[in-house]
This record gives sequence, C-alpha cells and structure tokens, in this order.
Amino acid sequence: MPLIVDVDLCTSCGECVERCPMDIIRLNNDGHPYKKYDECWYCGVCEEDCPEKALVLDIPFLVK
Amino acid sequence: MNLETDILVIGGGSAGCMAAIVAKEQNPDVSVVIIEKGEISRSGSIAMGMDALNIVVQPGITSPELYMKSALIATEGILDYNPSNIMAERSYSMLKRLESWGIRFPRDEENKYISLQVHAKGNFLLEMDSPDLKLVLAEKVKEAGVRIINRTIITKLLANGERANGAMGFNIRSGEFVVCKAKVTILANGGCARFSLPNSGYLYGTFDYPGNAGDGYSLAYQAGAQLTGFEYTQCSPLIKDLNCPLLYITLTRGAEVVNALGETIDLEYVSTQNMLKELREGRGPIFIKMNHLPEERIREIERILFTTERPIQKKFWENRGVDFREGLIELGETEYQLCGGHGMTGIVVNEKAETTLKGLYAAGDVACVPFQHLTGAFVFGEVAAEEAVKFVNNKELSEVDQSMINDEEQRLHNIMDNNKNGSISVKDFEYKVRRTISDYAIPPKNDQKLKRFLWWLPRFREEMKSIRITDYHELSKFEEIQFILDCAELSVHASLARKESRWGWFHYRTDYPEKDDRNWLKHIVLKKGIKSGEVQTLLVPIKKGGKN
Ligand SMILES: Cc1cc2nc3c(=O)[nH]c(=O)nc-3n(C[C@H](O)[C@H](O)[C@H](O)COP(=O)(O)OP(=O)(O)OC[C@H]3O[C@@H](n4cnc5c(N)ncnc54)[C@H](O)[C@@H]3O)c2cc1C
Ligand code: SF4
Ligand code: SF4
Repeated sequence: MPLIVDVDLCTSCGECVERCPMDIIRLNNDGHPYKKYDECWYCGVCEEDCPEKALVLDIPFLVK
Repeated sequence: MNLETDILVIGGGSAGCMAAIVAKEQNPDVSVVIIEKGEISRSGSIAMGMDALNIVVQPGITSPELYMKSALIATEGILDYNPSNIMAERSYSMLKRLESWGIRFPRDEENKYISLQVHAKGNFLLEMDSPDLKLVLAEKVKEAGVRIINRTIITKLLANGERANGAMGFNIRSGEFVVCKAKVTILANGGCARFSLPNSGYLYGTFDYPGNAGDGYSLAYQAGAQLTGFEYTQCSPLIKDLNCPLLYITLTRGAEVVNALGETIDLEYVSTQNMLKELREGRGPIFIKMNHLPEERIREIERILFTTERPIQKKFWENRGVDFREGLIELGETEYQLCGGHGMTGIVVNEKAETTLKGLYAAGDVACVPFQHLTGAFVFGEVAAEEAVKFVNNKELSEVDQSMINDEEQRLHNIMDNNKNGSISVKDFEYKVRRTISDYAIPPKNDQKLKRFLWWLPRFREEMKSIRITDYHELSKFEEIQFILDCAELSVHASLARKESRWGWFHYRTDYPEKDDRNWLKHIVLKKGIKSGEVQTLLVPIKKGGKN
C-alpha cells in the first residue's frame, strides 16, 4: 500500500506528514514519506496538499 | 500539558470548527480551546469538501413544517420535534453564513439554487461546490484566535456524574498527557464509523470517516449522559469495495439503478433500503447505469465526483477500466455504522444542544438529531456555541477531583508498560471485535444472536491486556477499540430492548418481525447505572411539537 514519491521533486518539507488526518505518514531516513501504519482512508489529502506535487497515492490493495 | 479555558471543544471537524468560530464571534473575550485527534485543516468527514448541504429550507419554496413531515416519515415517528425543527428553521441563515465565507452554492439559469429531492416532501438538498470547505473553516478558526491542540485524543471527560468540567487525553505522537479544565465542554467528535467490518475486509475502508470510532458516544456514556437510537444500525449501498458515495450526484441527474435481471429498481426519493433489498433477495449485483445520459451530463458528474468529497473515485475507476459512458457501476452494501448525522444514533440533546449532563453540550454526528447531516453539524455547532457563551458568563471553573486526573494518567502509563510485549496486534484485535459485531450485532437480529455478542464482550475486555502496544499511535488505537466495544454494548442492549421491527432492515428482528406502533412509539434511552456500572435501558416518550 505504498505512497509513490518522486524523489527528485520531494523537498522533505513534511507537509504530507502534518496534513494526514489519520497521522500515518512519516519521513524515512532519506527524508521521503512512507505510510508507517496501515490505516489509510484514501482521502487524497497527502497528494492534494503536497506543494511540489511529488506524491501519488495508491489505493489500498483490499479495496482497489 | 495543563490547560484552563472557558469553552473546550472536543473534535475540530464540521461541528467543532463552527462552534469555536461562533463562540469567539459571540464574545471575543471568552477563551476557546479545540482538542483534535488529527489536524484541523483536513480532519473529519469533510476532509476534501462536500458536494451538497442536505437540508436547507428556502423561504417561499419549502418550509420547516414540510421538512418536519419528511423527518417524521424517515424516522417512522421516533423523533423529538424541537431539535429538528430548529435545525430546519436556521438552515437558510447557515447557508447565507457559508456563502459569506466564499462557499459556492450553484444556481440555475433562473438564478435559483440547484436543489434536489431526496426527502419525502420537498427539495431540501442544495448542491454545494466546495472542495476547500475544511480549509476555509480551519482558517476561520485560526483567525478567530481559538487555541488549537492537534494530534491529541480525548480519552475521558472530567465529570462528577452531574456536571462536566473538561477532559483528558494524550498526544498521539509524543504521549504527552493533556488535561483541559473548562467551564463548558462541547462534544463534536463524530459517530462510530468503525462498527461492523466492511465486506472488503479492510478495516479503514469505511464509508464514514474512520477517525471517528464512537469516541464521543463512549465518553458521554462513561460520564453519565444519556444516549439514544443505538438500535438504528444502518448501512448504505455505495460503490462496491471502495465504499464511497455517488448516489445523489448520479441519480438526480438521470442515472438509474438496475438489478442482475436488468430490471430498473423503483427508487422512491433515493430510498437506499429498496436497493439493499434487491441484494438481500438475491437479485444482485445491482448497478448504476448512466450510458443513456448525454456527454455533457456525464462530464458534469465526473467533474463533481472527481474533485470533491471522495476524489479517489477517479483513480478507482481508471484502475478498474470503467468509463461512465459505457460501463456499469456496481453498488455494494457498506459496513454498518452508528451515526447521528446519517442515522438516528447519538447523545440525547435538546434544541439548545444541551445533553443531560450539566455543562456538556453535543453537536454533529455525535448527537441524536436524526438525519441532520452536515446542516445539523453546522447549525448545532452554532447553537452549542451561543448557549455555551451564555453558560460561561460569570462562572468560575468548578473544583476538579485531582485523583480522577491522576488515575487517568496512571491508567495510560500502565497500558504502555504492561502491553509492550503483548502477543496480539491492535489490528488483529480490532478485526476480531468488528467481525464479531458483524456476526451478532447487526440485522437480521434476534434475542439469541444479540446475546452471543454479550458473551464475547467480557472476553474481549479481558483479552485487551494481551494487545501489543509499542508507541502512542498504537495506544490511541487501543483506546479506540474500547470505544468500539462500548458502542457495540450499547447497540446490543438497545436492540434487545426494542422488541419489534422498525426502519425496514436496520432494526429487523426475526423474533419480532412486525412493527408495533401501539407499544413502541418511544425512544430507547441508555444510561450508565451509577452503582452497577451496567447499561440501563429507559423507555422515554416522544417529545412532540408543532401541529403533531
Ligand atoms: C463521504 C461522506 C459524504 C457526505 N456527504 C454529505 C453531503 O453531501 N451533504 C451533507 O449534508 N452531509 C454529508 N455527509 C455528512 C456530514 O459530512 C457529517 O454529518 C458532518 O460532517 C459531521 O460533522 P461532525 O463535526 O459531527 O464530524 P466530523 O466532521 O467527522 O468531525 C469529528 C472530529 O472529531 C475528531 N475526533 C474524534 N474522536 C476524537 C477524540 N477522541 N479526541 C479528539 N478528537 C476526536 C475527528 O478527528 C474529527 O476531526 C457526508 C459524510 C461523509 C463521510
Ligand atoms: S509534502 Fe510533498 S514535498 Fe513535502 S515531504 Fe511530502 S511528498 Fe515531499
Ligand atoms: S490518503 Fe489520506 S489517510 Fe491516506 S495517507 Fe494520504 S492523507 Fe493519510
């Protein structure tokens, strides 16, 4: 259930982490977001609010 | 963190944001704190906006009386007159307030608002064009000078059985314990979205916002407030697997629902129960059909569905290779939920948003104002704020029993300590709880079946000591499982008490299959027994009004 991140565009600003309503996104050691917890409502906020449009949300496999 | 405030708002969603803004508008000197589990810019049901305001009474076109007739039909008579009537009366000025904040309500060629009939007696639903709705509200909250505490889950109210004096909880990242003493507490933290298990098996693939796990119901119950409507266990026919809505937008633009036999289903005012019946009686799968609509219509539908509310639909259909111009859209039954906005479940409130506990108000999906939807969340957010500001006037903070605060902090510490090597993941535990709810607490119901859940309940509560908790995020999930269990307990007791069938499938009892208006035109009200701690069930008469 990944977040697909364009690492060339991502500035590690952390906006996606701060905006996720379910608080499931964290930045990894390279400063890029991943879903730490399996509780995504596929609301689309992370993708919409990323200032660099660096992030693409994938729908969880079970509902896809 | 120790806070003191005049007004504490728990939950910064639709109702909570509105309450905070209006409280400051009424009196800028009143201090207001919002405590929110997520982050208020995007938390709650309206994270990505909303495409309709479901109840608006337009002067000269419809009337509150007409709305009340519709509401009586929808609730089958289990309706207190005043709260719903006030909502209808104030709905138009709420629309005007939202417009003044830049929220758009589209109009037709004759400059009339675009309205749709989804109620029995009139066109009360107004289209709204507002992907940014939550961002706008959050901005207003900040401008008003409200103190916002994000990422903090409330786990217990400060209350002494008669009066509420604030609340306690913890930061879900840092674990910091938070105490907020308040003269008035407004609960605005939603319904119980995570009740039974969605058919997809994905715990968070619910129709309603899964951050609302019945927290508000449990908090109010444990503090001694009265609740009602817990036997109204409801589901909806939405996009199969994805569980996102699209009915109103498509059906009101000419789409049809067909069954497996190719027959068009009769949909009286978008009655979801008719659709669910087709599925249950073996005439599924059922589909929305739109291939007869002109291109212009399809584009309009796509524009709304793919930008607002649940825009994920665009990706979903692309992945499934479905184009609205040709393909059929399969509908499936969602999980069952408890909700005071979509349904009839919630804390008992009057027309002033007062609960039965002094100093505690409730607004939005957490309160029982049947089928109030977003309109009710906003109107009762406003009402609760007005009343709260009056209530705080000249009052001092009440004395709070310090031992209650110490106990709650200790309880949370103990879970972190004792559960770190637990053998069951929070996810597995929640899965089994909700699977058991699916097995026993939803329709079709009967005495034996409901009581099976009561057999499981103490086992679950006991077994929670085996849940593995390694961080504060997981601790918040642990707390939410307790909320879900409380909601299930309340729901099962209410379902056992109502010895008849009502609301079609939603409270269908195979051992009492008939509706019985002679004996059961009354509320089932639930309350925590002060001495026993058991659920107490009261039968309470309907409070009528108007010409009824
Ligand atoms: C997909 C969808 C589509 C809808 N479409 C429409 C529509 O078109 N028209 C319409 O009129 N209505 C619609 N509704 C209903 C409407 O959105 C809700 O009735 C309304 O938003 C409820 O507002 P609320 O404030 O009660 O809950 P929410 O806005 O969900 O806010 C509750 C807040 O409380 C927070 N919270 C929960 N527990 C705690 C806790 N323990 N501590 C701290 N914070 C907590 C949550 O994080 C959340 O932010 C829709 C709902 C959904 C889910
Ligand atoms: S918001 Fe965008 S740019 Fe910022 S950390 Fe997330 S993905 Fe990277
Ligand atoms: S889609 Fe929503 S819930 Fe899922 S990771 Fe993005 S912001 Fe969080």
